[in-house]
Amino acid sequence: MSEIPKNLSYTEDHEWVGPNENGGIKVGITDYAQDSLSDVVFVELPNVGDEYDQGDVMAVAESVKAASDIYAPIKGKILAINEKLEESPELVNESPYGSGWMVLMEPSADMPELLDAKSYQNSLD
Amino acid sequence: MPLFETCMHDSHVKLGAKMVDFAGWHMPLQYTSIVSEHNSVRERVGIFDVSHMGQIFVSGAGASKFLSYVTTWNMSRLSEGDCRYCHILDENGKIIDDTIVYTFSNDNFMLVPNASMVTKIFDWFNLKSSDFDVMIENKSDEFFCFAVQGPEAPRLLRQYFNLSITPFKLVRSGNMIISGTGYTGEKGYEIMGPLSESLGIWQSFTEMGAIPIGLGARDTLRLEKGYLLSGTDFNGSQTTLESGYSWVIDWNHEFIGKQSLLSQKEDSYKLLKGVLLEERGVLRPGLPVYLDGEQISELTSGSLSPILKRGIGLSYLDLKVGTTVNILIRNKQLKGRVIQTPFL
Repeated sequence: MSEIPKNLSYTEDHEWVGPNENGGIKVGITDYAQDSLSDVVFVELPNVGDEYDQGDVMAVAESVKAASDIYAPIKGKILAINEKLEESPELVNESPYGSGWMVLMEPSADMPELLDAKSYQNSLD
Repeated sequence: MPLFETCMHDSHVKLGAKMVDFAGWHMPLQYTSIVSEHNSVRERVGIFDVSHMGQIFVSGAGASKFLSYVTTWNMSRLSEGDCRYCHILDENGKIIDDTIVYTFSNDNFMLVPNASMVTKIFDWFNLKSSDFDVMIENKSDEFFCFAVQGPEAPRLLRQYFNLSITPFKLVRSGNMIISGTGYTGEKGYEIMGPLSESLGIWQSFTEMGAIPIGLGARDTLRLEKGYLLSGTDFNGSQTTLESGYSWVIDWNHEFIGKQSLLSQKEDSYKLLKGVLLEERGVLRPGLPVYLDGEQISELTSGSLSPILKRGIGLSYLDLKVGTTVNILIRNKQLKGRVIQTPFL
């Protein structure tokens, strides 16, 4: 049973989206996604300043066996990346909603409709 | 086609293993995580179900001569209790499969070919055996095979069988065949025996501390040591010389493929070399290898070394050790260095 915090929004591609204290939108992958990937050994993150449309590939998480694309859950600009993942990609496994976050984005359009925790849970069942 | 299952299949599923199709078999990829299973073998001890691998028995007055003809090794140099790694070649010197030959006596041998090659090797041997006084039997369905690997493996073998076995030797204990062989580069053994005994052996070894290890870690363990994977590092198009395993050839005997190898020896040819990624990333089979902006080869194997925490791969290259190449990953050229395996 994977953990799905109620205060976050989700995509069907297993990204989560949440508010950030100092502005912007935090993005990462869900507990379900990190568990399916197992052992994240490398995360390729975008550059600060890069702009993406919703659904663009913006990052890649790699396990020993497979590489998995991570899509921009919203249209927007990258404000910051989680540089700790360069040295410690395993944070994605250990704390997918906490220290394993991936990027901070500034939305450049109205927020799209995303899944709430309950709908995301249903999409997994 | 339904997948084959080993005698331990239901136990793997019960343990919660992630199961995958491997060479037509439904096998455990990982029980917990590839990295933790990998580290268990390097630091302590693991147990692998490799019952999908084959057991082909070759016996009779002509067995030694026959096996010398169809492999790269001269079996008259082996004594009772010896295990020998060698290649089975076609007339062009291309590797059909690699195998270990078990010597029970000078007229009684067993070979352990790879799962996907058992039928092919059995048919090939039958095709080539008409001039030899031999009996060839495929008993792959009658045996389990477990690999117990890691620095603590000798302790477990002593505890359970009251045995110690040196590398590349075999001992028969009751109806078990136990050899000092493996595919991890660690101290270890492979245990083969009748299917009815498999569950008891598996349980005893896990109770003594052996951690179940899936095919995922089996691949990273062998790749760190530069060992070949059948169907990946050779697939019918590469010779033993190209694979870098010329030490498995005894040139002082006649064998299928010898003439081709002798003429290849006079030429230059690509050699399977290690590629160590100098930047962060994971290597994958099939990634293109570039030199000075031109694609020169591709990776056969590729992964991440859990110990080195670096991308590692193998590639057929006509380049000196130390050369810097580029590997194209997602439209980015990453630097890699050609090295002599093993990586570790």
